[in-house]
Amino acid sequence: MKLIFEYNESNSIHISTIRDLDDDATNGYEQLEKYTPIGLPDELLRKELSLPNVSEPTVVRHYTNISQLNYGIDIGFYPLGSCTMKYNPRVNEDIARLDGFQNLHPLSDEECCQGSLKLMWELEQKLKAITGMDAFSLQPAAGAQAELLGVMMTKAYFRQISQTQRTKIIIPDSAHGTNPATASMCRFGTITVPSDSRGNLDIDRFRQTLQNDVALVMLTNPNTLGLFEENISEISDLAHKNGTLMYCDGANMNAMLGIAKPADQGFDLVHLNLHKTFSTPHGGGGPGAGTLGVRAFLADYLPLPRVTKNDDRYVFDYAQRKSIGSVRFCYGNFGTLVRAYSYIKSLGNNIGNVSKNAILNANYLLTLLKDDFEVPFDRSCAHEFVLSSERYGDKSALYISKRLMDYGFHPPTIYFPLTVREALMIEPTETEAKETMVRFASALKDIAQELKEKPDFVKGSPHTRHIGRLDEVAAARKPNLRWTPPIHSD
Amino acid sequence: MDFIPTTDADKQEMLHQIGVKSVDELIQTLKPYLQNKLDLSRPLSELGLVNQLTILSQKNKVLKYFIGAGSYNHYIPAAVAHLILRGEFLTGYTPYQPEMSQGTLQTMYEFQSFICILTGMDVSNGSLYDGSSALAEAALLSSSYKDRKSLFVSKGLNPEYFKVLKTYSEGAGLTISNELNEDTACVIVQNPDFYGNIENLQYLSEQAHNVGALFVVCVIEPTSLAILEPPGNYGADIVVGEGQSFGLPMNFGGPYLGFIAVKNFLLKKIPGRISGMTTDSNGNRGFVLTFQAREQHIRREKAGSNITTNEALMAVASTIYLSLMGKTGLLNVAESSYARAHFLRDKLVSIGLTSLNKNPFYNEFIMQAPFGTSKRILSNLFGNGILGGYDLGDDKILICCTELNRIKDISSFVTIAKETIN
Amino acid sequence: MKLLFHLLASTSENNIFSKSSLVKVMREGEIRFSREHEWLAMKGGGIATMGISDFAQKQLGDIVSVDLPRVGSAYSQMQPLAIIDSVKSSSDIYSAVSGEVVEVNEELLEHPEFINQSPYDLGWIVKIKPSNTQEFEQLMSKEQYIVFIGEIEKKEKESTGMPSDGRS
Repeated sequence: MKLIFEYNESNSIHISTIRDLDDDATNGYEQLEKYTPIGLPDELLRKELSLPNVSEPTVVRHYTNISQLNYGIDIGFYPLGSCTMKYNPRVNEDIARLDGFQNLHPLSDEECCQGSLKLMWELEQKLKAITGMDAFSLQPAAGAQAELLGVMMTKAYFRQISQTQRTKIIIPDSAHGTNPATASMCRFGTITVPSDSRGNLDIDRFRQTLQNDVALVMLTNPNTLGLFEENISEISDLAHKNGTLMYCDGANMNAMLGIAKPADQGFDLVHLNLHKTFSTPHGGGGPGAGTLGVRAFLADYLPLPRVTKNDDRYVFDYAQRKSIGSVRFCYGNFGTLVRAYSYIKSLGNNIGNVSKNAILNANYLLTLLKDDFEVPFDRSCAHEFVLSSERYGDKSALYISKRLMDYGFHPPTIYFPLTVREALMIEPTETEAKETMVRFASALKDIAQELKEKPDFVKGSPHTRHIGRLDEVAAARKPNLRWTPPIHSD
Repeated sequence: MDFIPTTDADKQEMLHQIGVKSVDELIQTLKPYLQNKLDLSRPLSELGLVNQLTILSQKNKVLKYFIGAGSYNHYIPAAVAHLILRGEFLTGYTPYQPEMSQGTLQTMYEFQSFICILTGMDVSNGSLYDGSSALAEAALLSSSYKDRKSLFVSKGLNPEYFKVLKTYSEGAGLTISNELNEDTACVIVQNPDFYGNIENLQYLSEQAHNVGALFVVCVIEPTSLAILEPPGNYGADIVVGEGQSFGLPMNFGGPYLGFIAVKNFLLKKIPGRISGMTTDSNGNRGFVLTFQAREQHIRREKAGSNITTNEALMAVASTIYLSLMGKTGLLNVAESSYARAHFLRDKLVSIGLTSLNKNPFYNEFIMQAPFGTSKRILSNLFGNGILGGYDLGDDKILICCTELNRIKDISSFVTIAKETIN
Repeated sequence: MKLLFHLLASTSENNIFSKSSLVKVMREGEIRFSREHEWLAMKGGGIATMGISDFAQKQLGDIVSVDLPRVGSAYSQMQPLAIIDSVKSSSDIYSAVSGEVVEVNEELLEHPEFINQSPYDLGWIVKIKPSNTQEFEQLMSKEQYIVFIGEIEKKEKESTGMPSDGRS
């Protein structure tokens, strides 16, 4: 595939300079012509603009062809644990593109934004109902940004109540890397606590580390092993008695809708990934939205503006309480909020079916695979589970995942969580059919067999993608991270 | 409408295979804390959903916009939406498995290239959340690289961006200061600035480097880069900014597109994902995520940034926009925006407003209305379906024009303003 | 450095040292090893050169990047002073002894692969001026280190449950 820079064609004119919109101007366009070319001092003007001109037919062909090199949920199953790769409803795309939503300037007057403000307010109420929390910020653009916001608010809270000795955050050893990275960004130290033999947070070790310098405990529930924390109420009681707050990384919320609420489990903060549980598209890595829910005692620290309702009117509430500031421009990834809102509206009170089916699917798929792979913990799983392919040898998880591509599947998450060797983390969301899971299990078993019989063949996978195994070492040792225009390009 | 393909018969077979009688039995064994009935609203069919949400969207009023201040109303070619709605772009995952993600990875590489060319820098990444958080990341990066804790911030920085910068800095223990000294990690300048002024980047660059600080330029209206000498050529060490002007709708504030570009010596410090070109065992060209060991999933608490999910699809949209517009198209956008802004400015001066820009400007400018008139001007414009600018208070208005501001509306603007003053 | 076994290739090689480069180091002074797989060679003049062992570099795989400390910074024994990145992992390198960094191998910025190719020679990482000569004496000798690695590999094989027929 060529790079877009390697074409040299006639540009299709999407915008002229004058007369695009001005055919009916009775006078003016001659006056406008006075201001072109651009009358800036020469030393400010750019000397070289090495961008390619490409015609629209070629651009469309280029990106259409490139897109066909990708896999997507629209094409097949993504068993990626904790990513919740569920179907992205197309109607949400149409709704997000309605003129009133898409073309509204964020600094419009309040009376021009009533539709969007109502949407944001109602979304907040629904997320509160789902989680049991008292207030939400819709501002963070991702789960990691929500974590950052939550940890910053925690820091401000403890400063407010004169407990600045709290400089540590407890995180399980199975946690996603964003949790400790977030702690560092806010200059907190991390204390890692291991899991016990049932896959729960080791409560004895937890108790030992719970000193008065601990500000926060960050847990994922169900955890990244796909298991509900069986001792969650004991953990939160211990934390609260110690004056420590509880944060729920809500990445695995797909197991809890309509079944359990983080607030009831003792959490003081929770973030929800709208691009996971709430069906907004992954887009190749983003955008997302990581809404942060908190209990009442923390609500004053949330970013401004909040959205409040006065009778029938919706209002930007800028009343300065103890807000820690903002983590981004304006209100959040509004387009993502629209899609999630739309999804929640369409499910309504049936939202519980999402989690029930997610849990059913995961337990079913686990049953199909448990004789051929190690299951680290002898328990039913939540909406995802972890297997180990250790018995098939070193790096088997890697080889299996590459060979799965030849069977038409995207690989599951591998080598995470770090606490399981040759880990395969699998999540079949509720939008996967039974038949897909049967085919997937069958593929995994076939590949395991292939690893015994023709290991070199499997190690050389994938064989049927348009590209083979790429040299990642060369990519880092001899970095080529951009196209560079030839020197005399103008 | 719930998108669940499982039939009752499927469910029975699956429960049988698992060895339980019902799904509830399965959930009971998982010992959740509490079983609650969620009371949301009645479920909707697709038709019902579309009906309700269309009505909701119609409660908004989209006006004719003469406002920028961080979000810009530019024309988006039709092909952008059609291409990013392709399922392979829309529903793809992060490209950790490169053999299944060459579409995403090549587009990322092209995006990185466009940003480098436009900013005059060496290396870029695959996107950050938005311009303001990109600026915050640049500040954290500078502080870590220089091992200094003070940030010097120009007064011309967008106030919303300043707020975000302050929030991140406080979290990380950095301070914003008016003093330029050996504790300054970086000097931050927005260009064109919040008031539209084009800054003297050469001078500011020298000031920064004289104290050993990094020079960070923030570009919030990047169509300006079509005509202005790029910050990289003035010695910028880091350029950050907002890509929304490149093919993204204003969308009430998001999703937007943060970008960051650095000189080579900062390559290993840049946050977020980077796509790199390489070859496979048959010598075919391909792309992979590279330098992943910088990121949170590997470095964990030692990572410089926790960013994971970014704005990938928005970067694809911008890449497609820039490809469609090309050199010619982007120059036309800049020329048209510049011309309309200067046309309006001169007309407003002719009816008694004062132009306050001390420097040349691109498409955004600040006007002083006669005493006590600005609010009425804006209000009368509003009554005619025009959002006339960003009210800075004190009778000052920040006005912006793009290729979408037709002459007819510019003339109406001037007429209404003139009538209000008299 | 901490070795994350389940992320990395295992080694079954007996030849732990590339002989020629080790000989070069040995000629210049005595070499010792830390429990975290750093090697330290003391020359005369009280400056020690430090790197990671051949065993360690094999565990890391192809190295793509090195974060070096600042010249003049001081470290206590076993405090992390550098980071080595391979494609899929990031590992702390610890200071084998307390002291001040007097020189860093800037060649590694352009050529991180020197650590893989020549861990005892071109792949040296820092030069330290130790503040406590007793610490050096307490590090493992070459012979002790060879035994140490042997134990690690044995424990590894037992915990993976890899069958003794070497199937992998």
